[in-house]
Amino acid sequence: MRHRAVILIVALAIPIAAWSAEPASPPPASQTQAKGLPYVYTNWKHITKADGLPNDHIFAVKADGPRVWIGTEDGLACLDKRTGEIRSWVYKDENKDGKEDTGGLPWKVVTAIDVDPKTGDVWLGLFGGGLARFSAGRFDHFHQLNSGLVSDVVYGVAIENDNVWAATTAGASRYNPKTGQWTIFTEKNAPMEEIWNYGVAYHKGKVYLAVWGSGCLEYDVATGRWKEYLDPDGEMEIDLHRDDGIIHVIVTGASPVDGALWISTYFGTCRYDGRHWRGFYAHETGLPSDFTNNVKARSADECYFAHDKGLGVVADFPTESVVAYTRDPKTLRGVAKVYQHGKHLYTVDMEKGVPHNFIIALDTDGNDTWVGTSKGLGWAIGTGYYAGVKENPEWLSKAKPAPSATASAK
Amino acid sequence: MHPSYHLLVNGRRLVTIGCRVGAFLAVAIAMAAPVWAQARQPVFIGARACAECHDGKHMGDQFSIWMRTRHAKAYTSLAKPEAKQIAILSGIPVEPQESPMCLGCHATGAEAEDWEKDDAFSLKDGVQCEKCHGPGSEYADPKVMMDRKLAMSKGLVIPSLDTCRMCHLEKGSHTAVLKRPPIDIDEAIQKIAHPTPKTWKFDKLSIPPPAPAAAAADQRKVEPVSLAATGGNGTSAPKYTGSLACGTCHAGRDHGFQFSKWRASKHADAYASLSTPEGWRIAAEMGVQVDPRTSTTCLKCHSTAHREPAGGVLESFAVQEGVGCEACHGPGSGYSAEAVMKDKTAAANAGLKTVAKETCLACHANAHGKPFDYEASLKAIAHPTKIPPLIEEVRYKTPINLALRPGSTEMYVTCEAANTVIVVDTAMRRKIAEIAVGGQPQDVCFTPDGLRAFVSNRLDDTVSVIDARARKVVATIAVGDEPHGVLVDRAGKYLYVLNTSSDNVSVIDASTLQEIKILAASRSPWSLALSPDGTRVFVTNSLSRFVPFRTPAMSEVTVIDTERAAVDDRVVLPETNLLQGVAWHPSGKFALVTMLRTKNLVPMTRLTQGWTITNGLGIVWADGRVDQVLLDEPGISFPDPTDVAITPDGRFALVTSSSTDRVAVVDVAKLLAMLDAAPPEERRKIIPNHMGKSAEFLVTHIPTKNSPRGILIDPAGKTAYAANALDDSITVIDLATFQAVERIDLDGPKEITKARFGERLFNSAKITFRRQFSCHSCHPDGHIDDLTYDIESDGIGNDPVDNRTLRGILDTAPFKWAGTNPSLSRQCGARLAVFFTKVAPFTPEELSAVDYYVCTIPRPPNRYRPLGAKLTDAQRRGKMMFERTRTNDGREIPIEKRCTTCHFPPLYTDRRRHDVGTKYFLDKASEFDVPHLNNIYDSAPYLHNGMADTLEEIWTRFNPYDKHGVTNDMTKDQLNDLIEYLKTL
Repeated sequence: MRHRAVILIVALAIPIAAWSAEPASPPPASQTQAKGLPYVYTNWKHITKADGLPNDHIFAVKADGPRVWIGTEDGLACLDKRTGEIRSWVYKDENKDGKEDTGGLPWKVVTAIDVDPKTGDVWLGLFGGGLARFSAGRFDHFHQLNSGLVSDVVYGVAIENDNVWAATTAGASRYNPKTGQWTIFTEKNAPMEEIWNYGVAYHKGKVYLAVWGSGCLEYDVATGRWKEYLDPDGEMEIDLHRDDGIIHVIVTGASPVDGALWISTYFGTCRYDGRHWRGFYAHETGLPSDFTNNVKARSADECYFAHDKGLGVVADFPTESVVAYTRDPKTLRGVAKVYQHGKHLYTVDMEKGVPHNFIIALDTDGNDTWVGTSKGLGWAIGTGYYAGVKENPEWLSKAKPAPSATASAK
Repeated sequence: MHPSYHLLVNGRRLVTIGCRVGAFLAVAIAMAAPVWAQARQPVFIGARACAECHDGKHMGDQFSIWMRTRHAKAYTSLAKPEAKQIAILSGIPVEPQESPMCLGCHATGAEAEDWEKDDAFSLKDGVQCEKCHGPGSEYADPKVMMDRKLAMSKGLVIPSLDTCRMCHLEKGSHTAVLKRPPIDIDEAIQKIAHPTPKTWKFDKLSIPPPAPAAAAADQRKVEPVSLAATGGNGTSAPKYTGSLACGTCHAGRDHGFQFSKWRASKHADAYASLSTPEGWRIAAEMGVQVDPRTSTTCLKCHSTAHREPAGGVLESFAVQEGVGCEACHGPGSGYSAEAVMKDKTAAANAGLKTVAKETCLACHANAHGKPFDYEASLKAIAHPTKIPPLIEEVRYKTPINLALRPGSTEMYVTCEAANTVIVVDTAMRRKIAEIAVGGQPQDVCFTPDGLRAFVSNRLDDTVSVIDARARKVVATIAVGDEPHGVLVDRAGKYLYVLNTSSDNVSVIDASTLQEIKILAASRSPWSLALSPDGTRVFVTNSLSRFVPFRTPAMSEVTVIDTERAAVDDRVVLPETNLLQGVAWHPSGKFALVTMLRTKNLVPMTRLTQGWTITNGLGIVWADGRVDQVLLDEPGISFPDPTDVAITPDGRFALVTSSSTDRVAVVDVAKLLAMLDAAPPEERRKIIPNHMGKSAEFLVTHIPTKNSPRGILIDPAGKTAYAANALDDSITVIDLATFQAVERIDLDGPKEITKARFGERLFNSAKITFRRQFSCHSCHPDGHIDDLTYDIESDGIGNDPVDNRTLRGILDTAPFKWAGTNPSLSRQCGARLAVFFTKVAPFTPEELSAVDYYVCTIPRPPNRYRPLGAKLTDAQRRGKMMFERTRTNDGREIPIEKRCTTCHFPPLYTDRRRHDVGTKYFLDKASEFDVPHLNNIYDSAPYLHNGMADTLEEIWTRFNPYDKHGVTNDMTKDQLNDLIEYLKTL
């Protein structure tokens, strides 16, 4: 009901906002053509059910050294990058012999994965099945009934020191395997106006929760204090004042790295460097869409966004270089469009690109990038990868200049 | 502003409660639950606050009557030697006056945190009014108390006989030591009767204030002065501080229990004695026409402060203490500071008096015509600071594990009962040193250079680091719960410590001694062995993984990759439990692990067919395959295989059987040949259960002394050493002849105490038909084996029951989940023979010894709340859930469905049977014995048949109708808090 009211208010406010925002709308940070172009992935592999995945609906992907863990709608898989071998685990009740396998995957749908860097244990968020620890072949199952987990619908999981955090539809849970203690964070003890947690990430003493309707919440592990990142415009689906805060409070992901916090929302994406906010809209930047399912930053200057219409990459923040990867629905070929300052400069046509334009999971892995889509996993192989921009990159030979270098990004 | 009120005694403020209530409200506000229904948490205010109104004829002398009961001296009684004996017999390793278990019945509010007790409240006042009537802050107001219904709504409890039974049900430990029949509650209630007269009236005794000292004669009105405000010295004449203040320091064994000795004396009853008919009679003879308690004439010798004028009294003083410390030693505000007391001259200058005969005669000379024998009286109240030490209990060595120090002839032996590591020179074959370490040392290992040794201390949750050259502990590392196995990797980089109770492995940086990570094991990780190439560590897990209800056990060997210091694999041995010893074959192709195959799913009637528990070895291949073979023979079993070692040439494996005092010698080549010759199906299904196969590879059995546990073979492969846990010795085995050639005495006590005799019986399979198992087999180290059994006594196939721990069991009678065995002697007597062991039962002497030993199995300290520690926020919130009387929406919870009704301190069991809705289709009855909750976290699974793997499941899965307490209104975070609190009990 409240959201309907908000939508109404937004509808009324749009003309006013558009008018008022115009004078304040800043030009891109630099209108000067950068001396170089960002890296573009031109070598893609698709990994699907045909290759051994349990399902093509990829909900989570996590690179862990030579292994890549893949959460699907129908089980867990692990790809060994060195050999290409894929192992998979399916829900224990559905083993071929019809017998219950107590060591099997305890739930079908794997929506989140993180790997404990110290122990190598793989923690799985299960959509409706709680949380699982996959440790050297053994699944330990934690759910609402046998543990202190607040909800079995888990969207995100993150390792924080000795703790495991789970983002769930009923709040966030923190579990300490050493002491066995479970702690729940909801509206009762955190600034969580809504308790539907979409994602969780940990970086340097801070836990970041991406909350549907409550923005991004930062938890200081040392002090136990919370900090809120909210949309100063409230729940409006436009930015009345640009770069004044988070783009929208419906946050789907947060990715902190190197002092920058990258955030994805249903209505655009943004970056915070501790002092300044910067929002990214599709129509200004070339990103494939504003509707963003997830985010994964490689550095303070480079970030990947999982959109409903492709993969968006802020490839170099200082030069406002953006690469949008999509799949041509007619030819099924891959397309990469390169933008700077919102201007479409080049298009690279590839035999393969992202496997599908609906993307929900991401991870970066050295020079490579993993893209989980609704039609398999995309492995973007970063041969010759470079950070930032570079003059005359190799991909340029395969690229076509945009029809009009002055055309707006669309 | 928070409401607060003051209880007034003699016109001065005695109790200030407002701040306490404020503290509670802060907690309450922070709670997740709506707390409007219980907005004010009552706190303990102490008996002397009750005395304000409940003393004097008009109120039936209730306070004075209490003062003269044993209730008032209950705390004091814990200073007696008998109390220490009871504690030992109950497995309580601390002083009774410091044990929550003892204080739970010998004091009031022992479980309460500081904020739940007013400043005037003292635990030392023993079992006070509020022990039975509930904490009084909210109902103590006279206006409330005069309306019983209102008072009860604010926490006043009208006790019933059940209230008495909370503590006065027979306790085996007390009966055994005190050798007196259990209390007849109906009779005892008469002794403490303190009825309110029908003609009661609200009034207060007009106790006159003590006379002021001349130096302070102008100070007519005595104002309470805090010690802090005056620095303890005041500004004028010294003031009386009260004996409780003295008791702050003059308590405990180190101070000769001086406070307790005074409190147990008649001096402490001197004020209360004035209320007796005899007191009134004597007073009348002396011309006193008023209540003697209000007469200065009487109080001069029946209280502390009325005889000798002083500068007044401090807030800590109460006239009701009778003749306290300061009656003889002078008012103490000037000398009571520790620094002053430690300086005799300074103390004397500050007013500390030397007590002389005249001091006593001042009151006792010709008192009421009674003769006074000074010497005898002085002896009666003697309270020296130094008291004779306790008769040292016989302390055995109990060697458990051994390790050779690299590059030397030294062998280190962990001695569990002695809390030491004994150093044996293997060349001379004798003990050469003994190094004190932590509590219950279990395992020992060395750095590759042999310069340091690491010893796991199971009781203390630590690892002692020993400088091997200095033979001295140089550091102590905190690790997880109940550490057992220890091992240093080949590079000397990491130390691995197996935490048996927390089911994980601590990885310690061997140079910095810092814990760098925790690895998840399976359940109860026990021993570990490094592969010959140094790349892998195999870890045995003593308990089975959790398995679905009524399915066979499955135990795990956890494999650690030493390069990553991470778990690399988990090898499952189906249908096994108690995987303990482990040794790698020098080829690196496999390791051997000791194991039990317990047939807990079939009725124990199979015992006569020799098939209840079988025992053997698991062969865990480097590639993860597993084989199992039995070491049992058709006529005689090989129970409790505990440790294994393999000769350097790989030809023979030696395995200890701790309950038949033997070492089995296995011809490894023959064992492998037997396996190789068998088809896969036979290897998987037949051989693991085939008791005839051992004949194909068993070379011989070597007799040892009592209960061999750890075994090792020297690098030359010529000699093996077995640690005889219950003989305090090492058996030396010549590997050329497979003969035991020598016994190395570890210098333990030569006498065999009753407890030791019982321990030997507990760990002996001689009690079982064909020596199939010992008590230890199902209760390893007195604890649990994690299995559910079908015991024949209730019919085959009926009533499967979860195995329960024996730690702290003595005072929790009746026994069995059905609660039908009233005593341990019944439990372990003929019944055991009929339904378990199928041989002649213990003799009466044996039975008594076994029972005695079982009682003394120590309870480890609670890991979630160390002694004296404050509760965490979550635990504190959980405590409120545990003690709640209303649901979240304000409905009153029926008394029978409150946690504390059946689970009250200190044992947290009412020792009765109740139907909590957990009847399973195999159960004949629906009522089960209420288990105690002490250290409940370490005895999963839960409920009578082990249906609940976790504490959470007790309520999320097995309490759908709120029959096991009202819990379904709880939010998830409230349940989490409740569980955090339960873990502290």
